[in-house]
Amino acid sequence: MSTLQNTQKEIKNLKSFSTAAERFEGSHLLCPGCAHSIIVREVLNATNDNLVVAASTGCLEVCTAIYPHTSWDCSWIHIGFENSSTAIAGAETMHKVLKRKGRMNSDEPDPKFVAFGGDGSTYDIGFQWISGCFERGHNMMYVCLDNEVYANTGGQRSSSTPIGSSTTTAPAGSHSYGEKRQKKDIVSIMAAHGSPYVAQVAPNKWKDMVKKIQRGFATEGPVFINAMSACTTEWKFAPNQTIEVSDLAVDSLVFPLYEIIDGKELNITYRPKNVVPVRDYLGAQPRFKHLFKPENEYLIDEWQKRIDARWEFLQKREEIKL
Amino acid sequence: MNSRKMELNKVEVWDGNMANSQAFRQADVDVVAAYPITPSTATVENYAMFHANGYIDGEVIMTESEHAAMSGCIGAGAAGGRVATATSSQGLALMIETLYQASGMRIPVVLCLVNRALAAPLNVNGDHSDLYLTRDAGWVSIDAFSPQQAYDMTLMSFRISEHLDVRLPVISNQDGFMTSHTAQNVHPLDDDTASKFVGEYKQVNALLNFEKPVTHGVQTEQDWHFEHKAKQHAALMGAKKVVKEIFAEFKELTGREYKVVESYGMEDAEVAIVCLGSTYETAIVAIDEIKKEEGINVGVVAPRLFRPFPLEEVAAELQTVKAIACMDRSAPGGTVGTLYNEISGALINTPARPLVTNLIYGLGGRDMTVAGLKDIFRQLDKDAKAGKISGNIQKLVGVRGPELSFYNVQGL
Amino acid sequence: MSKPISEMGWDELVPGAALHTFDGTVETNLSNIQPEERKYSETSSKSMSVGDWRVIKPVWNSETCIDCQNCWVFCPDTSIIARNKEMRGVDYEHCKGCGLCVSVCPTNPKSLLMFNEYVTVEDALSQWPEKKKKGEL
Repeated sequence: MSTLQNTQKEIKNLKSFSTAAERFEGSHLLCPGCAHSIIVREVLNATNDNLVVAASTGCLEVCTAIYPHTSWDCSWIHIGFENSSTAIAGAETMHKVLKRKGRMNSDEPDPKFVAFGGDGSTYDIGFQWISGCFERGHNMMYVCLDNEVYANTGGQRSSSTPIGSSTTTAPAGSHSYGEKRQKKDIVSIMAAHGSPYVAQVAPNKWKDMVKKIQRGFATEGPVFINAMSACTTEWKFAPNQTIEVSDLAVDSLVFPLYEIIDGKELNITYRPKNVVPVRDYLGAQPRFKHLFKPENEYLIDEWQKRIDARWEFLQKREEIKL
Repeated sequence: MNSRKMELNKVEVWDGNMANSQAFRQADVDVVAAYPITPSTATVENYAMFHANGYIDGEVIMTESEHAAMSGCIGAGAAGGRVATATSSQGLALMIETLYQASGMRIPVVLCLVNRALAAPLNVNGDHSDLYLTRDAGWVSIDAFSPQQAYDMTLMSFRISEHLDVRLPVISNQDGFMTSHTAQNVHPLDDDTASKFVGEYKQVNALLNFEKPVTHGVQTEQDWHFEHKAKQHAALMGAKKVVKEIFAEFKELTGREYKVVESYGMEDAEVAIVCLGSTYETAIVAIDEIKKEEGINVGVVAPRLFRPFPLEEVAAELQTVKAIACMDRSAPGGTVGTLYNEISGALINTPARPLVTNLIYGLGGRDMTVAGLKDIFRQLDKDAKAGKISGNIQKLVGVRGPELSFYNVQGL
Repeated sequence: MSKPISEMGWDELVPGAALHTFDGTVETNLSNIQPEERKYSETSSKSMSVGDWRVIKPVWNSETCIDCQNCWVFCPDTSIIARNKEMRGVDYEHCKGCGLCVSVCPTNPKSLLMFNEYVTVEDALSQWPEKKKKGEL
């Protein structure tokens, strides 16, 4: 197996990170406080190499490429809802061919191929496409921008929507507590494809995220990054609370930060100094406010038990390195 | 050109699928992203075999579905190289949204569409349902009636698609089984000549050109959408001129002449049929026989260039006949067939006022024989002499059971 | 690019509605040159302003700022400008007034605070609160 050209830039601390020359411009149409753009900036700023980026239909795509304006300072493609992964896989394959046939500038290091997709695209309608790309082993990174709903179309449920959340197609009402299904475990599924590197990240923990992105860029093969994207519009908190809610998510262990190497070795990469009760995380988001009615409170207890059990499981897996 | 050449005979015996595969090989396609489906499977399988034996310098991606195949082609094509794929029927139906995306994004792709019926019921045989499904997708669409033509058309598709005045994806059609699985004599070009004819791929707005970062696949709303679709339409309409140029160049090279509208027997025809695919070749036999045996003068017209539709050429071809049967090989979906509509539309603004009928035939691979065509010719002759259509405008021919016909406007 | 895009007819547009971010060609790796040295075309969103989305705006107090760059990394709109590891200020053309920069500022008093849009930067700075004592809300 050939080694990837490692052109990793060194990012010692936030001050040195801030010297990055941005390749994602403002005046996009994303909501004030949107975590998507924080994530995109962290990903793009983690490398100095040329980039080829694809995005599936969704908030990111719609808000950064409405004719006649583009927010991307790099090559970018959108085809449809299902297929940012396959678009990038096609571009990556073409690059391989053109390089082999001597039609690429051989001085430059290989570009990085990155596909972005929301949870709608990743967990649901584009799932087959990602699975195919990962099975075929393309040299690419897939970043899921996970805000746990189909945000771009007004907040309909996806298979990433966690139980008890109220969405427009699974709303809380007098006869329902909202979403009845558990959130799909996408990270395990992608690890099971034999991906050399999968990881869960959150943009508020920028150092953990950037370290994983850089590792992903330095890994040969398909890399999957699930990035928690706290959505002010659909989770219904104030725009200036995005980092605060993200902190609650990782500190309550609802969104644990870990990585899996070669589908086997699991490493927990963030251990909160003080673990926050799940109740506090749920309480910060009006999409869960109905859970605090007396008849629904048992769901909060079930949430806590589930999160505790999963944390146990993650720690055990980390121990046995299997 | 691929580094390992294949020494071909002056005359090869290839079926339509092998003709496609060889054309792909000689065209030095950079990326083939494909999914197998009957009856186009062999196009992909042959190509994979070539690749396994070192005849292909490019890559083959076996995707997990046809939609992914075309998505991969679009991504690879936008990256900046030559791409191609093949499919039929259900696979074509599955990738339909990506067809619209490819043409809207102006990405050159060559799609070998081996025409097969659309379910339900499930049918693997040849008819034109999938061809018709692509009608509005914005692709250039050309039709081959034999393995020789499949090879020629597919090879030329790359030139048409990548032409700087076109930059649109192209469909190279052929009948499923009747052409794809029938081996006939094919006179191929040798590798050097074919490679020189297809030429080198020119990048336009390539993702891999880092000197000019480009954004592909934007959203346009009510303030911009119409202008972009208008531009796309103009390019597609302008492709007819390029097709004629490529046909002319190909004739110089091979002696084989192709026209955007093919016709036979129209010099002295009093009645005519319009059709697509291998029926055209059957018609030639039937026309010669019935002229000799019964003195009926029939002609056949086929729009080899299906999209952009050569309205003027088709209209010109049909000015002097008294009765036309438009033969559509696709379930009509509650109305008259596509060829009936397009032919009638072509003629309505001209002086010609022939009788025009619509025959639905050959669905799901039901054979259209020489005898069957002669019956059709006799009916046309009768109608022409009587000066009116006997019965309804649309008839389903060759189906067992009581006669099924629709639409009568006599007396209006 | 002599004619603005808004005046172009269908025949003058780039096929496929493709957009170019820069005028001319990019001679060097973009990561090596800061945005102010790049030649953005009118089709880069950078040429647009979303300043009118705001009703409140962040004001930066360079006196209390420690250049930690929290605001830089967490700005969703690339509107906190940092150069040479130092905070330079707010890009009011692209700032939507979300207030995240204020929420992540660690100094006491904060070095970024939200003010009404109509308040001038000078007035805002003159109204800057004092350092909060322990236990003070």
